Amino acid sequence: MPGVLPLIGPNSNASLEVQRFGADFLAEMFASPMWSAEAKQPIALLVLDTLKYYLEQVHDRGVTKGAVQAAASVYPLVYRHTISDPNDKQHWKTMTDIKSNILNRMDTAPPGVRICCVKFVQQVVLVQTPGVIDPRVIMSVSRCHTQSTHAIQRPDHSDVSLALVPRDHPLLTYVHLEAEGHGLLDRLLDIIHGDHRSDSMASDGGTYLTGYSDALLVTSVLNSLGVLIYRRPIAANKILNSVLNFNPLKLANSPMTPKNKVSMKAIERTTRALLVNILKRNTTERPNDPNNGRMQHFLERMHRMRQDIMEETSRKRPAPVEPTDGLDPAKRQRLGADVPSPAVPAVAPLPPGPVSYRQLYTIDPENAAANFDVKMFQDPALVQQILIPILQSIDEKKLLEATNIVRSRYLSLSQAMAKQQPSAAAVDEDEYEPDDYEPEDAEQVANRLDSTGDITHVAPAAFKLPEVPQLTPGELQQHGELAIRRTFALIGELEDKAKGTKGGFNRLAASDFGRDAWITIAARLATRASAGLDEPDDGIKDEYAVKNVEGSLSISDTIRDLLHDYVIRDWKKRIDVAMSWLNEEWYNDMILAQSAKPSPNSKTNGVGPPKGNYRPNALRLIDGILPYVAPSDKGLIRLYSELPTLDYEMLSRLKTMAQDPERVGLATQVLQYLYMFRPPVKEIVVSITAELWRENDRAKPKCGALLKVWKPEILQEVEGVEVKKEETNGVAEVQPPA
Amino acid sequence: MSDPRLRARAQQQQPLAPAPPPPPPPPMEPPVALDGANNAAHDDQGATASNSDFKLKFCTVCASNQNRSMEAHLQLAAANLPTISFGTGSLVRLPGPSITQPNVYKFNNTTYEAIHQELSNQNAQLYTANGLLNMLGRNLTIKSYPERFQDWVPGKPRLEHKDDQGYAGTESGVVDVIITCEERCFDAVLEDLHNKGGRMNRPVHVFNVDIRDNHEEALVGGKGIRELAMMLNDAAAQEMETHGDSGWDSGGGNARAGFDERVPDILAAWQEKWPNLPAIWSLAWF
Repeated sequence: MPGVLPLIGPNSNASLEVQRFGADFLAEMFASPMWSAEAKQPIALLVLDTLKYYLEQVHDRGVTKGAVQAAASVYPLVYRHTISDPNDKQHWKTMTDIKSNILNRMDTAPPGVRICCVKFVQQVVLVQTPGVIDPRVIMSVSRCHTQSTHAIQRPDHSDVSLALVPRDHPLLTYVHLEAEGHGLLDRLLDIIHGDHRSDSMASDGGTYLTGYSDALLVTSVLNSLGVLIYRRPIAANKILNSVLNFNPLKLANSPMTPKNKVSMKAIERTTRALLVNILKRNTTERPNDPNNGRMQHFLERMHRMRQDIMEETSRKRPAPVEPTDGLDPAKRQRLGADVPSPAVPAVAPLPPGPVSYRQLYTIDPENAAANFDVKMFQDPALVQQILIPILQSIDEKKLLEATNIVRSRYLSLSQAMAKQQPSAAAVDEDEYEPDDYEPEDAEQVANRLDSTGDITHVAPAAFKLPEVPQLTPGELQQHGELAIRRTFALIGELEDKAKGTKGGFNRLAASDFGRDAWITIAARLATRASAGLDEPDDGIKDEYAVKNVEGSLSISDTIRDLLHDYVIRDWKKRIDVAMSWLNEEWYNDMILAQSAKPSPNSKTNGVGPPKGNYRPNALRLIDGILPYVAPSDKGLIRLYSELPTLDYEMLSRLKTMAQDPERVGLATQVLQYLYMFRPPVKEIVVSITAELWRENDRAKPKCGALLKVWKPEILQEVEGVEVKKEETNGVAEVQPPA
Repeated sequence: MSDPRLRARAQQQQPLAPAPPPPPPPPMEPPVALDGANNAAHDDQGATASNSDFKLKFCTVCASNQNRSMEAHLQLAAANLPTISFGTGSLVRLPGPSITQPNVYKFNNTTYEAIHQELSNQNAQLYTANGLLNMLGRNLTIKSYPERFQDWVPGKPRLEHKDDQGYAGTESGVVDVIITCEERCFDAVLEDLHNKGGRMNRPVHVFNVDIRDNHEEALVGGKGIRELAMMLNDAAAQEMETHGDSGWDSGGGNARAGFDERVPDILAAWQEKWPNLPAIWSLAWF
């Protein structure tokens, strides 16, 4: 260092390249994790003049950036030096000059430099705020803030904080430093609340808040806040409040230019990463922190907002939500309601004298369609093709109106005719011709069906659909599978929808067409539909049985496979699905077993009771999930605790899992939970624990602790053996971890 | 390759809706030589940074440091950029004989060569068919073993990685740009940087370029990352050319703005060109 310093220092007349190198060199050197702070501290004092010179005399962005970075690393070192050497005015003075130089340029420098200033300010805030206080020694701390108490509070000496500063320090005034720290923190937080968009002057302070590099500064601030929050709990609340009042999607109101999109996403994701990080830390260290709920809530809200914004911009027109086939119950006609009917459109009255059917049914003779001759269609298939979509798209209200019009016409006509002469055939058969295929057509059919009692001679023959060709078992299976897959695609889509309110005991399974409903349907289809059919000697025997068995059985298995896959894909979120499915399996097994019991004598060929589907499926699910269980997944405990029945084999899977050293803890947690809350499996749990204890060295301490309480005799019995073994072969026992 | 579930899903979907690949990737020959010296095959396309210029240092990250980050590592190294790469998963996970039996390895000490050896002993045919052996063969020419991002100590000299591709320039163990290949990894990187506490006071641009975890997409994504890296590198080199404080008060054209503030513009321009690789960015601290 002393060799380099003259070359890059203030008196060296070095070229710009050398100065850039010097600034970067200093920044990198003081950042290096390979040196301890103790080693850096004396050197820090040597470079202060150089840094000051760089900041005040050299006007180059590269040099300034490096110098500010270096200053950020040096500040805590000089600060600590000053604490231990209260008489060293000179160095502290230089450091203060550097600090004020940096703070002055913080609002006006180019963004690339400003982010480095942000980090410098963060360092200043960090060292000028009291450090972590251990609640156990909080009493002693409140009495005095000396270095010795600090040493008790926090063994980590590298944490330079305001707590190190004695109250009577001649150079460092505790109160001033604290106030400055607070002020600078406010300045940092102001940045994220600034205008993310424009280069405009902030109206209140008259300073540039964020400027045009918005996202750059905001994310740099957000990313520097994490360490402040967890190392300075005193400031944590303030920072959190500020962040939670911050709207990361502010930019959404401005035009969605590609750059704005990038910035918005950047700010949003960075905020999320910060909060998720704090949340994770809090849930392990301070599970009862009231801020956790707020952060959770904030994250959810932000997620929703982002979806809204993204949807608005990505989708021009949302697809209609309601079914278009008119089956929506909300759309049915309300018979009792007293709705003022809109004015019935005026209808041209029928011409006097005899009228044709065509005239009778034509409501709007002006309509071009009225003059269309359907006979033009030679091919009835073509007519069908046109007719069916038209029928589907008819407006129900219009149809009703039209029907009423025709009905009233018909009524008046028939009355008039009855007056005239019943003998005169009202309309000649020849005159009948199907008229246009406008909406009136459907109404025609409907009306005719309505009034078949009146005019029997025009009653159409009952329409018969062509016979459906018989499906082969293969096809049946194929179509069944297709249907199931479509159901699961639907389940996948329904996933995102918000969950409705729970009906409690009054809930009717599968009644709301939500995800749960479909899951229930799928699970019951899988378990119950083919129940009893899989035992050829059990249940109904007829000639169709053999055929059906194959198809329906494999459908059940297909559903099971899909359910299995569905759960595996996101097992943490879908434990409820797994449970409702396995419960159905278990229930069905029970029912089958019960129905099989009353007639044990009927079994002649020695086949035992149905082997059941619950166990293999549960085992398969557990096997599927275990490889993905992270060491901290408490979901596994829930999974095990909610399974309807547990047996030795299911629990022994935990042993396999415990071979992963990271997940030993989880395995024992599961065992402990089951022992405490599932008395029926206590025995199995104890034996599994004992096996773990014997076979798995890493699980030994934890299992040993459990066994000590549960069944100490195992420990003693094996300990004897163990001790002997160690005596004979002590060296081999110590194996390096793989 | 990290998460077999995702891979399976991707494969299921493929026959239904093959993703339209962005600009057609030029064919890349898998490196055959295992001696670590053969990177000539990759110099065939794309710009490369010349040796004399200023260069940004890059770091590519995916879940297992096998497929996407390694493809990108290779591309960046071929572009003559200093590059290191990492995975953020807890373990290196590769697909196994079935979806429930992934092959799992430890980071930082299982070499690509060992994995290659083990898999070809296990079932050479299967792992050749699904491209794993090919991928591992490529990887072992790039560097010796997968590294975990969370275990990385930024600023610690990486002298023991001399033979890695893209080593030149990464000796000091810090980078200017991190590029992740999946949102999960992006979040993991930001979180880890929070945990590391920003003690170095050194800014780092973190990008995410979302790439589906299969060989084809990794190749396309690698090209995209290479282009992004070159754009960033050019901008940074331009800043270095601007001597003095010329850009400070006079303002003016884009080229005069500093590198850092141009990053959002660069990413936006890149994103327009590569709409199928959705990207995110953040400025974080070492």
